[in-house]
Amino acid sequence: MVDEKDMVGAVMVVGGGIAGMQAALDLSAGGFLVYLVEESPSIGGNMLRLDKTFPTGDCATCTISPKLVACMRDLNIELLTMAQVTALDGVAGNFKAKVRIAPRSVDASKCTGCGDCTEHCPVRNVVRDVPGYEPREVGGDERVKVDEILARHRDDPGGIMPILQDVSKSFGFLPRSVLEQVAAGREMPLAEVMRVASFYEEFRLHPEARHIVEVCDGTSCYSRHSKKLLKQLEEHLGIKAGETDEEGRFALRTIRCLGLCALSPVMRVDGVSFGRMTRDQVPQILERFE
Amino acid sequence: MSECIRNSDDLAKAASAGAARLYPAQLKIIVGAGSCGLSVGAGEIEKAAVEAVKELGVEATVIRTGCIGFCGREPLLDLVLPGGPRVSYGNMTVEKTRELLATYAENKGLKPELILGRFEKEEYILTGEVHEYGPAPDELKDVAEWSDLDFYRRQKKVIMRNCGSIDPLSIDESIARGTYQAVQKALGSMSADDVLAEVESSGLSGRGGASFPTGRKWRFAREAEGDIKYLVCNADEGAPGSYMDRSVLEGDPHAIIEGMILGSFAIGAAEGFIYVRSEYPLAISTLDKALADAEERGLLGDDIMGSGWSFRLSVRRGSGAYVCGEETALIESIEGHSGEPRGRPPFPVVAGLWQKPTVVNNVKTWASVAPIITRGSDWYKSMGTETSHGTTIFSLEGTVKNPGLVEVPYGISLGDMINEMGGGTLDDKPIKAIQAGGPSKGCISPDKMDMLIEASAAPGKLAMVGTGSIIVLDEETCVVDMTRFLLGFFNDESCGKCTPCREGTKQMLGLLTDICEGRGTDHTLAQLKRLSSAMKAASVCGLGSMAPDPVLTGLECFPQEFAEHVHDRKCSAGICEMGEV
Repeated sequence: MVDEKDMVGAVMVVGGGIAGMQAALDLSAGGFLVYLVEESPSIGGNMLRLDKTFPTGDCATCTISPKLVACMRDLNIELLTMAQVTALDGVAGNFKAKVRIAPRSVDASKCTGCGDCTEHCPVRNVVRDVPGYEPREVGGDERVKVDEILARHRDDPGGIMPILQDVSKSFGFLPRSVLEQVAAGREMPLAEVMRVASFYEEFRLHPEARHIVEVCDGTSCYSRHSKKLLKQLEEHLGIKAGETDEEGRFALRTIRCLGLCALSPVMRVDGVSFGRMTRDQVPQILERFE
Repeated sequence: MSECIRNSDDLAKAASAGAARLYPAQLKIIVGAGSCGLSVGAGEIEKAAVEAVKELGVEATVIRTGCIGFCGREPLLDLVLPGGPRVSYGNMTVEKTRELLATYAENKGLKPELILGRFEKEEYILTGEVHEYGPAPDELKDVAEWSDLDFYRRQKKVIMRNCGSIDPLSIDESIARGTYQAVQKALGSMSADDVLAEVESSGLSGRGGASFPTGRKWRFAREAEGDIKYLVCNADEGAPGSYMDRSVLEGDPHAIIEGMILGSFAIGAAEGFIYVRSEYPLAISTLDKALADAEERGLLGDDIMGSGWSFRLSVRRGSGAYVCGEETALIESIEGHSGEPRGRPPFPVVAGLWQKPTVVNNVKTWASVAPIITRGSDWYKSMGTETSHGTTIFSLEGTVKNPGLVEVPYGISLGDMINEMGGGTLDDKPIKAIQAGGPSKGCISPDKMDMLIEASAAPGKLAMVGTGSIIVLDEETCVVDMTRFLLGFFNDESCGKCTPCREGTKQMLGLLTDICEGRGTDHTLAQLKRLSSAMKAASVCGLGSMAPDPVLTGLECFPQEFAEHVHDRKCSAGICEMGEV
């Protein structure tokens, strides 16, 4: 303990959760200047995440909100958010602390909470990796083909949907290198292109088999035993639904309702539909696709 | 052939060209080549017919038509006899086609035993005219008249007015049956207010399932602020079991185009989009052709029919996401984003496509507009019931004798539809359950057969419309497994934006799987109900709030079947494989 005359009139509270906030408010009321240090971008801590608190069942937000506002407004409390204590010297009554504050990249005094920064968040635009989805070499011809597609839809108000549909049509799937070219051509982040590409069932990120066999999984087909048809196909092709056989000849999938409900059960090979399927027809039909 | 149509004379000229194609002097062979027909061999039959005609030296034209609705009898082949009636053959094969044409060529008859029915006359819904076919030869006197068939007697084809009667790729044939007369009438002699008032007073309501009054929606959009407004046709018919929109798109694309031109005039929109799901390639190519034809004839684009009114229309393809049938998700998708629904309000009529006022209507709704303009709202109101006007399309599927599409005025009962039009069940097996109105409606028990097809029910009565699919299920179906199947659909198709739907469907699917595999308890059932109410209250769009409905309906209509699975660990249909007790 130092002499009373050497004591500083300021206190540092490390951690801006409910306990730290209450401590800061009490200290401020007692006449101390408080540095409230919090590692995350905002004070509040875990209690902000709670709906109710045990055992009284009080609304957590209702408890904490006035304290958040009080901490912010209190002239005796200085908030140091995105901050970490890196060193501490001295003895009780006269400490020296070193605090490292990370850049916020936003001028907090000017922030109105409009939310525009969330829209343009650079983290949101980090590409999420799909296993095995690597860029591959693209030939000059292919680049030209993609440039043509891009040019065709340059003024299309429909954004990248028509572009991806055309790419999918001419490549059979959406190669990552092509998506990178599309992103560059449209001057938008690759992550945004990927978000659309991965949302729709029809877009494939990997090369496909030569022939796609699809079994309709609509309600009507289900009621007319499409499960048995799928099982027969699985046995016949030696693969499960969602897989491709080893020689890359057939890929087997289910598809939600082809709209041929009066002719259930239905299957489709390379876009050609076959209705009223029976057991004997399966091998005959598959034979036609080499 | 490709002259611009600028007035009623031009329209009449195109109509007579179309009529010459519709009723040629020589034999006309019509192959039902919608997706339904093609999937069971209509393509080969058409080829056989063309070859046979050539070999036999018969003077005949062979054309394709869209879906006539009698899907259970596909492939269908019709003959329009020179100076005689039109007769319809069902369950055709390549051999039967060759045989039929050979006997015809030798004047040895028409094989009446293969005929489903004959047409004496056909009404043109748009104009009210009736085309009378020539007298039937003696050997056909005993063949049933088409409108006397059980399947057709109670039907009134307004939306599907031209489906199965015209070559969908021929704009002239469509014009010959009255198409584009409504456009000519509206742009030539009516004000936008008149058109809107006519649609409002007709009581037309949305045919997509929610039955929102179309006129009111149009008025909202018309009165919304802004110079730029859009129209959208929702042809993303993703609900399993429904395919009526596809039939209209494939069979009579001009009906939709005409409806949208009328809508654009009434609302003040200069541009429109038809959003078609990618699973319907034939519908997309048919629409593309129809749009190109309409533009070439000056019926679409700038200065339509010389009236000064301009409207551009284009096709947008979906890419396989059911949620895009939800209007705000559909709008997101047209804008080129992933199809995640938006929060509401603001509603699309205020801020839709590119934040401009947008009217989104279903295929059937757009196709219903033109007859209201040509025949008047009173005529339209004369069909249906007090509260629900007009007609709507249902698909009969599952174990019925006559699966297919039926268009009926509102007010018919579910039982009549299944037993009379559908002809009852195959082998007259008892009906265990009916999956009516799309996946969100679940399975109802057969004691609800007196349920009426109506947008809103009279007190004490049940009513349903939904997406219009009616799937009849027999004793071989397990309702619990069916419910799991339906929930699996929602689980797959949830877009993942909001938590109640994304996590709720997953958890409910897990609980139902527990029941199906013999691990269910009373607690499981209670949890299902609790999750249902949370999802209904908190989901962003209709997909999440309707997903629990099949479970709730199943629990309500088949409590004993759920109890059997949970308490006795037994599945009497033999579908669920129960583990050890």
